Amino acid sequence: MPEVTIDWYIALSVILFTIGSLGVLLRRNAIIVFMSVEMMLNSANLAFVAFARHLGDLDGQVLVFFVITVAAAEVAVGLALIVAIFRTKKSINIDEMNLLKG
Amino acid sequence: MNAYSLAPLLLLFPAIGVLFNGLIGRRFVEADAKVGERWSGWFASLMAIGSFVIAVLLFLSLQANEFQAMIVPIIDWISIPSANFYIPWAIRVDTLSVTMMLVVTGVGSLIHIYAIGYMHGDPNFSRFFTYFSLFIFFMLILVSGSTYLVLFVGWEGVGLCSFLLISFWFDRTNAAGKAMNADAGRKAFIVNRVGDFGMILAMFLMFWAFRSLEFGAVFNTAVEMFEQGHVVEFGLFSAPIGTVLTAITALFLLGATGKSAQIPLYVWLPDAMAGPTPVSALIHAATMVTSGIYLIVRSNVLFELARESGPVIFGVISTPDLVAYVGAFTGLLAGLIAFTQFDIKKVLAYSTVSQLGFMIAAAGMGAYVAAMFHLVTHAFFKALLFLGSGSVIHGMEHGHHHLHEHTHDDHHGDGHHEEAPFDPQDMRTMGGLRHKMPTTFWVYLVGALALSGIPPLAGFWSKDEILAHGNEHALVVYVILAIAAVCTAFYMGRQLHMTFFGEPRHAAAEHAQESPRLMTTPLIVLAGLAIVGGLLNLPYLTQAMAEANHNHPAGIFLGLEGWLEHSIKSFELSEEGILHLPHTPIVLSPVVAGISTLLAVLALGGAFYVYRNKPETAADPDPLQKLKPLWWFRILPFETFYMKFIVPPFNWLANWLAFAVDWNFWHDFVHNNLIRDMFVSFATFLADVFDKFGVDGTVNGIGSVTKGLAGGIRRTQTGFARTYALGVFLGAVALLAYFLWVLY
Repeated sequence: MPEVTIDWYIALSVILFTIGSLGVLLRRNAIIVFMSVEMMLNSANLAFVAFARHLGDLDGQVLVFFVITVAAAEVAVGLALIVAIFRTKKSINIDEMNLLKG
Repeated sequence: MNAYSLAPLLLLFPAIGVLFNGLIGRRFVEADAKVGERWSGWFASLMAIGSFVIAVLLFLSLQANEFQAMIVPIIDWISIPSANFYIPWAIRVDTLSVTMMLVVTGVGSLIHIYAIGYMHGDPNFSRFFTYFSLFIFFMLILVSGSTYLVLFVGWEGVGLCSFLLISFWFDRTNAAGKAMNADAGRKAFIVNRVGDFGMILAMFLMFWAFRSLEFGAVFNTAVEMFEQGHVVEFGLFSAPIGTVLTAITALFLLGATGKSAQIPLYVWLPDAMAGPTPVSALIHAATMVTSGIYLIVRSNVLFELARESGPVIFGVISTPDLVAYVGAFTGLLAGLIAFTQFDIKKVLAYSTVSQLGFMIAAAGMGAYVAAMFHLVTHAFFKALLFLGSGSVIHGMEHGHHHLHEHTHDDHHGDGHHEEAPFDPQDMRTMGGLRHKMPTTFWVYLVGALALSGIPPLAGFWSKDEILAHGNEHALVVYVILAIAAVCTAFYMGRQLHMTFFGEPRHAAAEHAQESPRLMTTPLIVLAGLAIVGGLLNLPYLTQAMAEANHNHPAGIFLGLEGWLEHSIKSFELSEEGILHLPHTPIVLSPVVAGISTLLAVLALGGAFYVYRNKPETAADPDPLQKLKPLWWFRILPFETFYMKFIVPPFNWLANWLAFAVDWNFWHDFVHNNLIRDMFVSFATFLADVFDKFGVDGTVNGIGSVTKGLAGGIRRTQTGFARTYALGVFLGAVALLAYFLWVLY
């Protein structure tokens, strides 16, 4: 069993971030885009705690709590928006939400 | 007796008259013509009589106080302490001014009363008396002022009243539709401006030289400077005092030729006859026109100093000599023109010009007392003659009116019957009036004989005094004046005969009627004065009284000579005084008096002979018309000269100034083209160029640039969330790349 070094955590974080960003860029379902955003946030959280442990510094772990708090608030607002949009448009296709444009 | 302090009342009474008639007189007349006229007319007359009473009191005060001149202050008119410049408005009560006051108010009162009758029925009755009182007011300011400036105020004021009264019937037009009366008024006013210009310049010069305009101060300073041979500095140049005095007196002469109708400015006076006849009598015969003589007599010190300075004017003549010649020639010329006139008042007007010439000549010769004597007696008999002529005109108009009604009744219905325009002043239509208007005839005869110089009437004494003086001191002047006196007698004989003798030459003359008592009473009083006026200065009597009262210097009126002496020498001679006023004792030269009486009688007789049965009808030519050289004067030489050579260039210049300079250049070019057009083009530049391209361009430019930019940038806002996400992603990548590149 090889030792789990910091590199593994970073690699997992990168993979999660990449999947998340690709999900945001490529998918049309608003819920999935939302989940992808959460995944990117959590990849960052992972990187924070990994560096915190590696460096022996609690700042990263404290920051993660903030991120989780903000993400929770964001999820509450975001899901409410999606529900509201779905009620009017009967769709949560993100490409159809294009009324605000120049 | 001391009534000096009453002097301001002299001016107050006529001023009240002006206010009464000017403010409420009209309502009286409009409410009830008969009663209103009586109120309006008598109020004005009583005010004039009131002034006369004050003048008499002043006369008595002078008698009681050894003829002491007295200055009665009214107010400080102009007072500039920093410049040490004071012009008080004060009344100078001395023998000269009181003489004038008595004449103005005495003759003025009689003419006021006469005018109540003469102006009866005129719609502007109260306006007439307003002007009349105003005239008395200004005339009294003129004669009572103690400085030249106050004199000038009166001088201008009487000029104004003259203008107002000449054009009193300003709406009357002649056959050609010209407003003759208004024109005559304007002519008088404009011609007088020329003379007033001389007055103003004289006062400027006087103030510069003597630093005062007060009579006493000016005379004393003038004598003092003259004795010291003072040189007056004018900044750029300087002039000896003699030259300055000559200039001042010459300018006074110019003023006098305007106001007193002398060559070359006499032309306004005959036209002034357009005014109502009382005006002609009071203003244009008895009083206002004599103010030029008053001015010269008042300034006698300056004139005598100018005489002492020798012939300064072009090195030929001194001012007093010039004055004498101007007077003499005017006397002769006006006498000759009077021959050729048909208008009864025009004859008297030229006669007035001629008699004023006598006075001016007397003043120029240094015979100031004689000039004043003639002024007073002339006021009596010329006022009488004018009022008499007014009575004649009144009678003729009455006759014409009667005739008109008569024919209207008789020939009713036989169509229009052409009537020649009737002039009630044309002597050719008169004749035989002595039976129709006996009172007028007798008083007129007295006036005419007095004017002609028949003893013992007033005109004889005063005219003879002038002639006697001329005979002694200035022979040329004497000869000219003697001829003028012959002319006087001749044209008065002609007028008497044409008006009162022979047979009526017009139906109107047949029906003429005597004037009402209100008009004839003043005539009788004036006739009485014209008879006894000579007593004022009777030669032997005066001398005898002077000798009898030699030890009794004050208290008794010793004739004009002794009386005026106190004013005419009203300056102090210094010890080594070089100034000697020519003493002019009243001498009756039997030869001179005999010659002039003989000539006058011959001329009167000659006139009666020439006109004994001519003209027979109103259309007949005048017998004198055959005498071509004499009749030549009918063209009125000075008037013709002015109308040919002065008026057209003046009008041309006025037109040029008005149209070329003022209108075309000043308004059209300077105002319109230069100022307005430049302003407009500048404003156009601001509006069309600066505002449009500058201000609007900037503001609109900012707007359109913003708009263009926004048009470009808004395309990036596609509305696709994933596009934005891609942008954010790429941006993050770019930032990351940048940091990596910067850090490593």
